[in-house]
Amino acid sequence: MDLSLTIGGPQGGGIDTSSNMINRAFAEAGYNVFGVREYHSNIKGRHSYNHLRVKEERPRSLKYPVDILVALDPDTIFEHLEDIGEGTKIIYDKSFETSDLAQARLIMRDTSKRIKETLDSSSLPNNIKGALELAKKRGGIPMAIPFSEVVTSAISEGPASRYFNTLGSAITLSIAGLEQKFAEAAIKQVFSTKPKAVEENVKVVEAAYSYAKENGFAGKVLKVLPKMKRLLLTGNDGSAMGKLMGGLRFQTYYPITPASDESSIMEEHEHLHYLQAEKSKLKEGGVVVVQTEDEISAVTMAQGAALTGSRSSTATSGPGFSLMAEGISFAGMDEVPVVITLYQRGGPSTGLPTRNGQSDLLFAMNTGHGEFPRMVISSGDVEECVYDAMRALNYAQRYQLPVIHLIDKNLANTTDLVPDIDLKKVKVNQAIRPTQTRLSFKRYSLDTENGISEMGYFGNDVFWMTGDEHDEIGHVTEDPMVRDRQMRKRFKKLETALNEIPLEEMALLLGEKNADVTFVTWGSQKGPILDVIEDLKKEGVKANLLYLKMFEPFPTDFVEEALGKAKLIINVESNMLAQAARIVKLNTGIDIQHNILKYNGRHMTEDEILKAAKEIIGGNGKKLVEVLENGA
Amino acid sequence: MAHNFKSDVAVDWCPGCGDFGILTSITQALSELNLDPKDVIATSGIGCSGKTPHYLNIAGVHTLHGRSIPFATGIKLSNPHLKVIVPGGDGDMLGIGAGHFVAEGRRNSGLTIMIFDNEVYGLTKGQAAPTMALGEKTKSLARANVFTKVNPITLALTAGYSFVARGFSFDMKQLKEIIKTAILHEGSSVIDILQPCPTYNNINTMEWYRQRVYKLEDDKSWDPVVAPGNENQIAEKFQRAYDRGSEWGDKIPTGIFYDNRTIPSFHKRLNEFVPSYYTNPPATQIVTGSDGYTPIDVEATFSEKIIH
Repeated sequence: MDLSLTIGGPQGGGIDTSSNMINRAFAEAGYNVFGVREYHSNIKGRHSYNHLRVKEERPRSLKYPVDILVALDPDTIFEHLEDIGEGTKIIYDKSFETSDLAQARLIMRDTSKRIKETLDSSSLPNNIKGALELAKKRGGIPMAIPFSEVVTSAISEGPASRYFNTLGSAITLSIAGLEQKFAEAAIKQVFSTKPKAVEENVKVVEAAYSYAKENGFAGKVLKVLPKMKRLLLTGNDGSAMGKLMGGLRFQTYYPITPASDESSIMEEHEHLHYLQAEKSKLKEGGVVVVQTEDEISAVTMAQGAALTGSRSSTATSGPGFSLMAEGISFAGMDEVPVVITLYQRGGPSTGLPTRNGQSDLLFAMNTGHGEFPRMVISSGDVEECVYDAMRALNYAQRYQLPVIHLIDKNLANTTDLVPDIDLKKVKVNQAIRPTQTRLSFKRYSLDTENGISEMGYFGNDVFWMTGDEHDEIGHVTEDPMVRDRQMRKRFKKLETALNEIPLEEMALLLGEKNADVTFVTWGSQKGPILDVIEDLKKEGVKANLLYLKMFEPFPTDFVEEALGKAKLIINVESNMLAQAARIVKLNTGIDIQHNILKYNGRHMTEDEILKAAKEIIGGNGKKLVEVLENGA
Repeated sequence: MAHNFKSDVAVDWCPGCGDFGILTSITQALSELNLDPKDVIATSGIGCSGKTPHYLNIAGVHTLHGRSIPFATGIKLSNPHLKVIVPGGDGDMLGIGAGHFVAEGRRNSGLTIMIFDNEVYGLTKGQAAPTMALGEKTKSLARANVFTKVNPITLALTAGYSFVARGFSFDMKQLKEIIKTAILHEGSSVIDILQPCPTYNNINTMEWYRQRVYKLEDDKSWDPVVAPGNENQIAEKFQRAYDRGSEWGDKIPTGIFYDNRTIPSFHKRLNEFVPSYYTNPPATQIVTGSDGYTPIDVEATFSEKIIH
């Protein structure tokens, strides 16, 4: 079982509910589902879709062509012509067949023009019939379903279109061979708080399954796998969860896609539940989440909280992160423990506000004026988001500096079924407060071997802080000697961090030690590349992956060793400048020649990385850059 | 022995600067309120006013230009039991930090904001500040000011501040009393402090102000307080405060314009959603379980994410 599907429709038309239902239905039968959400910067109407993959084992990548394309509007068929291949079943409402491309006004003009050119080049009419003809030529199987008729056979009240998403999902599940009871169980979970919606949607599921059976669409019954408890999480969920587990008690944010979901999730879980064993020992607690007036306020308010001893953070995306630059410089200068979760989207400027990107790495490394130590880490899957968010808070507290945690949009909007959250994977260290008031406390004491001075806490200690260079108690100084010593003390912390942090938190060499091809990547390409390595193995090519997680401080020795032995290095990133490769070169001097890059804002898929890698491998190293273009 | 709220750092303001009177008023107010030095924090921005925390013997943060309010808010919301005073310049509060100034009025988190209002950017040699009138030409300006002025009193009122006052740095007795009342005020307060810059502002001098200021409280019927239960007085007292706050020119009022004690502080609002907030705020929470790992029950906290 390895099923790829896309379900598309108008933004606001219940696509997420559909995916949630599909996820939960397969999960009920013991399967694993992995998916990503794609959408426009729009509230209602424009094309959005979820790309999913279902397997017995956990999928970690997506691929094209899809096995099933569910179109809840005509736009979806036009938009996804390129995702159709041999055997792709296209489920759509029969009424769409009268739609013209010209009527699909919410398809972006350039996209529409390109679809027109595609249809014209095959001498097909610019309408759904033409599009379906093209789909057939590509091996697709159109499956027209009278959506309204099927819905009204089950529900007489209200507009039938309200149930099209449930209908489309249920037909999909039926085609996949999933038993009806699992679809119904999923409905009960999705609409758990609304009994009437459960009742109505279950009726639609019944009608969909009957229709599929009567018309011979229903697939061969899928075997049922042992059911396990799992958590259905996105990258946003993972980071929020990790932060709360990691002791975060103060979060600030200004609304921005795709970062604000993290803060909304925290607002929904402000009140924390403690483990049974801790309940009697700990006072009830909660997290304070503050929506600020801008990102400048977000990053400085979080620091204010940190000065009282709270574990504190903010979350933002490119434009907001740009506004935080001065505040991050202050955190570096004044050694404030603060975490900034940077959800990367396509830049520059507003860029592709709802699309994927990894173009903020070099910026994260250099944000803010002047020279100051910071840490820059990155996550590549939902579980990493959880544990890295915890570690980020630990690093911030231990090394007293800003920690920037990079998560790409693709990962933020990935849904994954996570078997277990390991509460014992990352320790959480309590800040030790003094029992007595310390007046004129030497917060920036130079009497330190490792660069770390003892933390002071407002509410306990009297000391000063200033963005100016400062003496040991925090008063302004322009003394040249103290300046030198404070600079060296601050940067010493990075050396200490490099010595103390386990290597696996910085970089990993995944796969065989001796390989013909070594991939280098970071962020959400990890999963697809690991799948590509399996694919290449089947073709007799031994490959491995140098997976980078920490860019500052940088595990230079390890990377040098891993790449020094490599025969062919292929760097894979979702940006145009191969930013991680630049950081590798800066630190190790190793100049990676081959790059697979993608900057059209869409997630990288297994098939396109494989194809590009084979071009590079088979091309005797002549082709240096492969640019990927998949995705509607 | 009583704590000396004045630090031992040498003050480097110009001779005759109005800031000296503000500094003295603050230290006297803190002394008279008998506050524990560890419980009071000063956060400032950049410029001459920004140096104030270093001259106070309490914890202080000399933050970025215009950002003292969000730093202060973070401190106050993380530990609501602390008192946070926010000395800042007119440029800090009403120019580069104006967005924060307005937002804090909406929050009402309990800060004591003091605007050192001298109409110029002193430390960068006297450029026009947001409180300088249109057409005014101080000696440091190459040409007359081309902006109209913002009125700190009426802006604070419309932004929602629940306590709005004005002091004069050469009337330390009145200023000290205003600061004390403001610190004890539960919500956020704004004190506009007329503070002559003897080096760059040769128009709004100490003498200029002395001839014009008068005290609101000299009118025995002046009562700016709206006490809980008297919400029906809000409209009238706000309007009176606004009208007096609009006065400027031959007569400039000082004193407390508005003291509305009926608006819930941000803490009270947070406490509605996190009932443990006030008794166990972020700053004092234990985040480590007895085994050194998280004490949070993830599955109970995020129960809706679980598929059984």
